[in-house]
Amino acid sequence: MRSRSKTCPVCEAGARVLDYKDERTLGRFLTDRGKILPSRLSGMCARHQRQLSSAIKRARQLALLPYIKGYGH
Amino acid sequence: MRRDGVPFLNAVPAASFAPTHHLLPLTPGGGRTDQREVFVTRRYEVVYIFDSALEEAAINERLAKFHALLGDGTAVTVQHWGKRSLAYPIRHSDTGYYVIAQFEVDSARLPEFERVIKLDEGVVRFLLVLMEIEAPAAVPVETAVVAEEEEE
Repeated sequence: MRSRSKTCPVCEAGARVLDYKDERTLGRFLTDRGKILPSRLSGMCARHQRQLSSAIKRARQLALLPYIKGYGH
Repeated sequence: MRRDGVPFLNAVPAASFAPTHHLLPLTPGGGRTDQREVFVTRRYEVVYIFDSALEEAAINERLAKFHALLGDGTAVTVQHWGKRSLAYPIRHSDTGYYVIAQFEVDSARLPEFERVIKLDEGVVRFLLVLMEIEAPAAVPVETAVVAEEEEE
């Protein structure tokens, strides 16, 4: 279990937008099954959590991130 | 006319209902609120995944064909990511050739652009998105998250 961080990791890094092509960063906000981590666990502010969810969904379409991790292939 | 001097609703000439708010755009389809007829120039980004069996020359040829559809004067920034593995197999293939292109174009040209890409057998998948913000800088979130985990 991760404990909730006090501040949003994206705001803390000084970034305003999340890039859907940066699958290494996005991959950190997935569970071990490939689900999007809830903001409760990711510690994101509402704006960045919304950006995160659409960025991850775009990355999935482009096969940068899996839809399901650790199953089958 | 009602007894209090106020005209009945049906006595009001139809024309007085016609003008809407002065800030609302006049749509070409009369009273249609459908905005599809209104075209604007915007910045777009497209990511192509080509069949990894294609030669680089064939890919460049296709890119030139697609980008010609955007109009002659359109400046297209193309960036080749090259061959990389896919997170899941697409068309029984585990690799794809990624190309990213950015351009500013009239949205009227996009339907034809997308149609031609869709019909191309060499393009395994593509994604066309609006660039809301100019070239987002690489997000150094990774370091922040690592630091956070070390704290725990």
